[in-house]
Amino acid sequence: MIYYPTMFRSTMVRSVAAFSGLAFSAIALWGIASAATPGAGHIDPERRHADKAPTPATASADYDTSSWRRPGDAQPLPARTTYDNSSGALTTLSIGGPVAALGHPFFTPLGTNGRACVTCHQPSDGMSVSVETIRRQWDATQGKDPLFAPVDGSNCPHLPQGDAASHSLLLQRGLFRIFRPWPPRAADGSTIEPQFSIEVVRDPTGCNTHPLYGLNSSEPTISVYRRPRPVANVKFLTAVGFPFEPKNGLPLPLDTESGLPMSGNLMADGRNGTLKIQAREAMLTHLQATAADEADVRTIVEFENTLYSAQSHDRWGGELTEAGADGGPDRLSQFAAGELQGGPQPIWKEFQPWRTLPAPKAGENAEQRAFRESVARGANSFATKTFLIWDAAGITSMGFGNPVRNTCAFCHNMQRTGLDVAPGQVDLGTTNEPFANPAPELPLFKLTCKEGSRPHPHLGRVVYTQDPGYALTTGRCTDIGKITIQQMRALAARAPYFSNGSAKSIREIVDFYDRRYSIGYSEQEKQDLVNLMSVL
Amino acid sequence: MNAMRPVAMGVLAALACVSSASSDEAATAPAATIKRFIGCPVYRDTDAGRKSGCWLVTDLQDGLQYEVTDARIKPILGQQILVEGVVTDKSRELCGAIVLDPVDVSVLPQTCKGFVIPAEGHPGRRFGLPAVVMQPTNVPRVLPAPPYEPREYIIQFELNSDFLLYQYSELIIEQASLYAKASKPRRITITGYAVTRPIEVSGQRIAETLAVAEARARTIAEALNRLGIPRSQMELKWQEAPANYSSGPLPELSRRRAVIAIEL
Repeated sequence: MIYYPTMFRSTMVRSVAAFSGLAFSAIALWGIASAATPGAGHIDPERRHADKAPTPATASADYDTSSWRRPGDAQPLPARTTYDNSSGALTTLSIGGPVAALGHPFFTPLGTNGRACVTCHQPSDGMSVSVETIRRQWDATQGKDPLFAPVDGSNCPHLPQGDAASHSLLLQRGLFRIFRPWPPRAADGSTIEPQFSIEVVRDPTGCNTHPLYGLNSSEPTISVYRRPRPVANVKFLTAVGFPFEPKNGLPLPLDTESGLPMSGNLMADGRNGTLKIQAREAMLTHLQATAADEADVRTIVEFENTLYSAQSHDRWGGELTEAGADGGPDRLSQFAAGELQGGPQPIWKEFQPWRTLPAPKAGENAEQRAFRESVARGANSFATKTFLIWDAAGITSMGFGNPVRNTCAFCHNMQRTGLDVAPGQVDLGTTNEPFANPAPELPLFKLTCKEGSRPHPHLGRVVYTQDPGYALTTGRCTDIGKITIQQMRALAARAPYFSNGSAKSIREIVDFYDRRYSIGYSEQEKQDLVNLMSVL
Repeated sequence: MNAMRPVAMGVLAALACVSSASSDEAATAPAATIKRFIGCPVYRDTDAGRKSGCWLVTDLQDGLQYEVTDARIKPILGQQILVEGVVTDKSRELCGAIVLDPVDVSVLPQTCKGFVIPAEGHPGRRFGLPAVVMQPTNVPRVLPAPPYEPREYIIQFELNSDFLLYQYSELIIEQASLYAKASKPRRITITGYAVTRPIEVSGQRIAETLAVAEARARTIAEALNRLGIPRSQMELKWQEAPANYSSGPLPELSRRRAVIAIEL
């Protein structure tokens, strides 16, 4: 018999009658029409916050431009570019053909800090940016690259910017500062009454307690630190597989511009439901632009829709389209988005042919064969090996039960990318105590749910977290620590992983899940999953 | 349980008809034993594939253990549940306890010690998709054909909840939205009900407030609006559930409901 730990549940000893006034959804408590709709309401306070940060002169340096695109460079983006990485090679496609970068808003500094979108979304890094690349840029420019802009490329803008220690979260974990207004803002800019109070327990960067930038500043702000998500393969990100967002119990919110359902798979905290809103926010905050030109926004979004990025070659496995496999970005770009895996169509079926390779021939590369078989086993394990999923609010609080027995593909169920077809946010435990990896370099917050609000479904009324995640968007206790599921493509090119960079390697992702859910993977099973994820 | 009245349509219609036939049989069959109690759930890890496993709970009044696996909302280990179900004589072999069917579970805020127990030879229940499931968005929705007439859609809720449940409320609301789009009603009235009169179950007083009824109505209105029904078409009401209302095999559950009335 296994004792189920309840130590992190706060005691709730009141009678049921005492809870009888508790309306479980947001409606009666905080106005669902505004709070649950990702919109632009949060951008204005974030822009004002960004305006406070200095924009020191940046330096241009001579460095290897084969794997780093500098904002403003005239070199066109080819239709196909392949970049070496430690696992093999990644290919980024621009299916619209070569793109003239000169003057293109994605490649042009649009604000005051010298950055462009491409600064943090590099074609060599699967349209994200790896910590390895970040460190290389620091060394090449002595920290003068706009990548390290004080606004969010340092731990906090008030710190001495020439000092590597002031950029430690970026240099060590690949994390940018994300500053969210507190209380949260609804789509129309109005204030959402949060269901919890928030206290800063630990503030190693000094930003959350800083008089200009912190929670007690004239514009109260919460600073959390997150990895940039890839802006490639976006048709999968914006695909609406089902009309409902079952973890929130409602249909997807509608975009006021297009009238269409928004995406549930954008942004770690779900604050932006369309690529347009994301682009506007990024221009006004990360780039410190004074305005977001709508023609530029359109051009950026159109360009993003042409980008596909995936591992194309493995140093052991060879070409990822050989022996019947369907890896790489070319086929990815041709597949329909939003398809649910399952049954005869398991996820990562593109590597299924490697399960039944023809009999070895004389002189065949045995290592290559072994690697391919390992990838196929990893794909099979991902789709079929069940384990008990515990305390993952979002997935274990929507009616399936807690625990629920299922596979990796329970959540990562969209064909080709591992996104969630029925989107929404899940508290995997990467940021919330007690499951988060210890991280004294990150802030720690104490969130206390107010009377009458529904508590976090598994952690109770007091939650300690490194990043409240989706709750910074909705203000709901039930959303504390929920993070939007990410796509799994181009992983080999963009370490570290999870929203807070807590997994330095793909192996650490597997180890986290193994420990989190007591899966009991064998060493071979772990390696199979690592090999699978390294070829995506 | 009826999700829609008076005229059924599509697969939901078939379900409604089945339910009606059962009611006729019930008129001559012995009265079913309905269990209503609060207990602490136990998870039996039968490992019969994904979404398998058995949920068991003991009624401390009679000392018997019941199986509630088929509830549309499964328990959360470590939290008490309100169980409402009909006792059956179905085989206990699968999970090892008396089977309640139909059965409904409401997860309560009160904590209790949760335990996972091994299969102990029980095979568990293999997961199977419900007969009717939400279709992906790439499946074209077909609007119901005329003739149109006034129609009601009923959604039941767990205690103190207005959560719209995956593969249950979602389906009914989408059906209602399609019918509304097709029939162009003069008004859609959404009425939320709550069971406000406190009663004692397993030594605990349970009750809902009118705020819950209001939340049920508003949540459904929000969902319909997101599915393309203008707010201007909708009228919202909320009220105490009538004490004498009962529908289906679980009377108390049937009172915790909301009704979408499409008025032509």
